[in-house]
Formats: sequence, structure tokens, C-alpha cells
Amino acid sequence: MKRHITVKLEAYVVLTAIGLLAALVFARPELALLSAPFAVTIALGLALARPPDVRAWVELDRERVLEDDEITLEVTLEARVGASRLELLVDVPTELELVSGRNPLALRLGASEERILTVRLRCARWGAYRFGDLHLRARDAAGLLTWEQTIARPATLRVYPRPEALRELVAPRETQLFTGNRVAREKGEGLEFADLRPFASGDRIRRINWRASARRGELWVNEFHAERNADVILFLDSFAEAQHAGHGTLDQAIRAAASLTERYLAGKDRVGLVNFGGVLNWLRPGTGMRQLYRIVEALLNTEITLSYAWKDIDVLPRGTLPPKALVFALTPLLDDRAVRALLDLRARGFDLVVVEVSPVPFVEPPSGESGELAFRLWQLRRQARRLEYERAGALVVEWHEDTPLTAILEGVSASRRHAVARV
Amino acid sequence: MAAVVAASGIAVYASVEADRVQVLVLALGLAALAVLGVGLTTAAPGTVLAGLAGLAAAWSVSAWTRGSGAPGGTIFAAAALFGASELAYWSLEQVSVADEPELAAQRLAGLAVRVTGALLLGSVLLASLGLHAGGGVVLEAVGVAAAIGLLVLVVILARAGHETIER
Repeated sequence: MKRHITVKLEAYVVLTAIGLLAALVFARPELALLSAPFAVTIALGLALARPPDVRAWVELDRERVLEDDEITLEVTLEARVGASRLELLVDVPTELELVSGRNPLALRLGASEERILTVRLRCARWGAYRFGDLHLRARDAAGLLTWEQTIARPATLRVYPRPEALRELVAPRETQLFTGNRVAREKGEGLEFADLRPFASGDRIRRINWRASARRGELWVNEFHAERNADVILFLDSFAEAQHAGHGTLDQAIRAAASLTERYLAGKDRVGLVNFGGVLNWLRPGTGMRQLYRIVEALLNTEITLSYAWKDIDVLPRGTLPPKALVFALTPLLDDRAVRALLDLRARGFDLVVVEVSPVPFVEPPSGESGELAFRLWQLRRQARRLEYERAGALVVEWHEDTPLTAILEGVSASRRHAVARV
Repeated sequence: MAAVVAASGIAVYASVEADRVQVLVLALGLAALAVLGVGLTTAAPGTVLAGLAGLAAAWSVSAWTRGSGAPGGTIFAAAALFGASELAYWSLEQVSVADEPELAAQRLAGLAVRVTGALLLGSVLLASLGLHAGGGVVLEAVGVAAAIGLLVLVVILARAGHETIER
């Protein structure tokens, strides 16, 4: 522990010195009398001061939680040599809000005493946090000396974004070969009626449509659409973001990506992730709970990294973007590299849905005539980008922060159904 | 608040006890009180120290007006000044982290003991100073040496404090 002198000791020494000097200079014994309690406090305080010996641990009740969940942080203090006043501060990120308990706090810890302190925290924002360093400051009985120590006891906490309730998902145009919950165009084993055909050798009896057979005078059987899964690639543009008061487009996109991942995986689809930004990373499509955790973990570590390097879709390894996959892009359309990459994907025939996480609510229009003009030009340029996508046959939907994601998805699904009907 | 109350007691008592220039003593005491108040409000230890030194000066001027010999009220003034200082630096500690109620109660009891101790110490010293009024050359030399030693200690502590901050 590092020892420090306190302002109180400095003040008492100064008061004592001034009192004694003044007593001598003015030959007034009462001045020495005034400074006597201070002098005695200094002498006794320094003589009796002992450095404390305190051990501390931090424990979290859970390591993985959802946003808005509460966690309990337990701090165990064990003193071999006690402290008259022990200040304790646990390093807690600002995203974790204090619900009950005190941090920092000051307490008395006697020799050989053990105390367990409990703090309840609310996880206000998703993220991967490594925290729990303890800052201890012990003070002697007279308050003249302090001993400071930082104990590194990092605990890891992963706060996952709370999945939004999604009524409907955007259905991929093409399905894959594996069994799933999506009605495929192909005929096979399934529940959705597709067609009737004459009975052939090997057909199951239970497939015979008796009513149709009676009308036609020969045996006819029902055919069904196969139930297959689909590949969905979540394309997260992390080149740039617009941010205001702690909220931003990346935050919005990550929440959406987590919700989409959970829902698509629940429907037995394979979900992959392409994090396209200053730091490029990807996860090949997969299914199941393990994939959900892998994707959400990758999302938690997503951040905007400034980079001037030009990146296009060719940098992605083979297999990351399987053929016939639905590419679901979440982008603020702020960086040309992401815009070009998505157009490139569309040109390669991928089924592309672009959800434009609108940066407009996070942007303050500049004041003045030229500022307003620049703002309008910027918005027109964004409009031109959207038109570019539409010309390429990709659907672009603008998503504002106050609109629920499910409403956006319903809009996308309706537009795609309408587009199919038109074709 | 308690520190200011104790300090205001010293300021008023000093002016009441003064034989002459009561207004000057009162003005000095009130000015010191104001400085102490500002120091506590802004959590500035240096300003608190200046306020306490000002109060001590007010009492000293009051004592000076009464001629030679330490007045009996000095022990109360010394205890009150000490109590005010303890309370002032206690409240400065609360700015960063507030005490738990249990700790606050213990500290309050400790403060009462220390102030009582200051009263006893003052009484003992007053009695001994009354017995040895005048002192003599040897005693004064010891006093000068002690004062110089204290000043050296102030400088050493100030340096140590700066080094700690730099580290």
C-alpha cells in the first residue's frame, strides 16, 4: 500500500508551527496553548499509525445477462490489520447503473474482521465488460496518513442486447437443402399442400386424396412443399456511425442484428455474420444455440474502427456468403465502401435487403444558409444512393430510431410479396 | 455546519473577552469565519486552514488586549478551535465518500473524546504555564529550536506530499 500524508496533517503542522512561533515572538503563552492539541494529535497520531492489511475479492452472481437485468456484485473484505476508515471504490462502467448498495463507501474495518458488501447493478446497455478493480484508501485513527491500494480483480460480464419481439421475419427467396421451417418451392415431405398427381407405385396410402380420387375415378395423391431451412447473412456496416447522447446507428444495428439472429435461428435457419468495417470479421452460417452465442459475442465486440483501406466483398473468405443466401444488411449508408460492397453483392445475385439505419435523427443540421444547403445536399445524396440500390433490384428501407424493428420487417416482407406478385 | 458553529463561538467569545478593540476582534473573527465557510463550501483545504488560522489570530488579539498571562477561557478556545478543525477536515473527507452511519457515530464519539482531551490538556498546560511564567533563556532557546524543527517538518512534509502526487 502506498502511504500518503493528508491535508489535515499539513494543516495541523502549519497551525502548530504558527502557534508556537507566534507564542515565542509575542511572548504569549496562550498561543502555544492554542496549538497544543494539534501538536499532541500529530505526535500521537503518527506514533500510533499502522499500515492496514486488507484483502478484497469481487464476485458477480452471473456472467451473462440481458439488457435491463440486475446483477449482484459482492465485495468481500478481510482485514488482518484494521483501518479506522476504509474508503472503497469498485470500478464499475457507467453502463451499469447502481440500484442498491453504495459505491463508493467508507466504513470501519477492525482487525481480523471480515465484511461482505453487496451492490445491485442494472445493466443499462449491452456490451462486454471487464471490471471490478478495487480502489482502497485506508486512513489512520487521527486522519493524518492514508494508504492507497488498487486491487485488480477483474470480473467479466457480458450483457446481451434484449431481443425485440418480432412478429414476422423477412422470408428468404430461396431455401437450402436442410430441413427447416420454411416452405420451399420444391415438393417433398412437408405440411403445406402443393399439388395433386396420379398415384404412383410406392406412394403412401395416407397421401391419397380420396375426394379427388372419387371425382376422377382413379387414385390421386396430394403433393406437399418441402420444409427447408434458409441461409441468412447479417451484414453489419461498421465503417462509420452517427451518434448522439450515447445512442447511435451502430447501437441500433447491433440490437437489430441480435434480435434477427435469435429469431432466424429459432426458425432452424442457418445464420452467419459479416462485420464489414475498419476491422473485418465474419462468422460462417450455422445453426443452434451455439451459433447464437457466437454471433452475439461477435456483436458485443463490434466497434467503429477508423480505417482508410479500401475493402470490397472479395476480401471475405469462400463459404462466408453461401449461394442463395438472404443478405440482410444493416447500414447507415455513410461509407462508400459498404455501399459499393452491397451493390457488388446484389450484382452477384444475392437476395439483398438493405435496412438503412437512418443517421438523420442523430445529426444536428448546421446553422446558417450554407449549413442548411450542405445538409440538404447530404440528404439528396443519400436519396440518390437509395435509388441506386433500387435500380439494382435491392430493397432499401429507412429505419428511424423510434420505429419498432418489427414494423420495418413487416414493411419489407409486404414489399417483397408485392414485388413477387408483380413479377 | 458544526465546524462553523464551533468557529463562530470562538469568534464571538474572543470579541466578548477582549478589553479593547472588540470591533476589530469581531471583524477578524467574522472574516475568518467567512473564509472557513468558503473553504468548506468549495472543499478547499488551504482556505479552511486560512480560516482556522484567522480564528486563532482573532483569539490571540483578544488575549493580547487583556495584558499578560493566559486567560482561563484560552483552554475553551483551544478546545473549540481543535474541535472546529476536526469537524472541518471531517466534512472535507465527506466530499469524496460519505461515512456509513455506524462509522459516523464512532467518529463522533472519538471526536468528543479528543475535544475533552484537548480541554484537559489545556488545563494542565495552563496550570504549568502559570507556574513557570517567564520561562528563562534556556526554555526560550528550547522553544525556538522546537519551532524551527516544526518549520523544517512542514517543508519536508510539503515536499513528500508533492512527490506523492507526482507519483
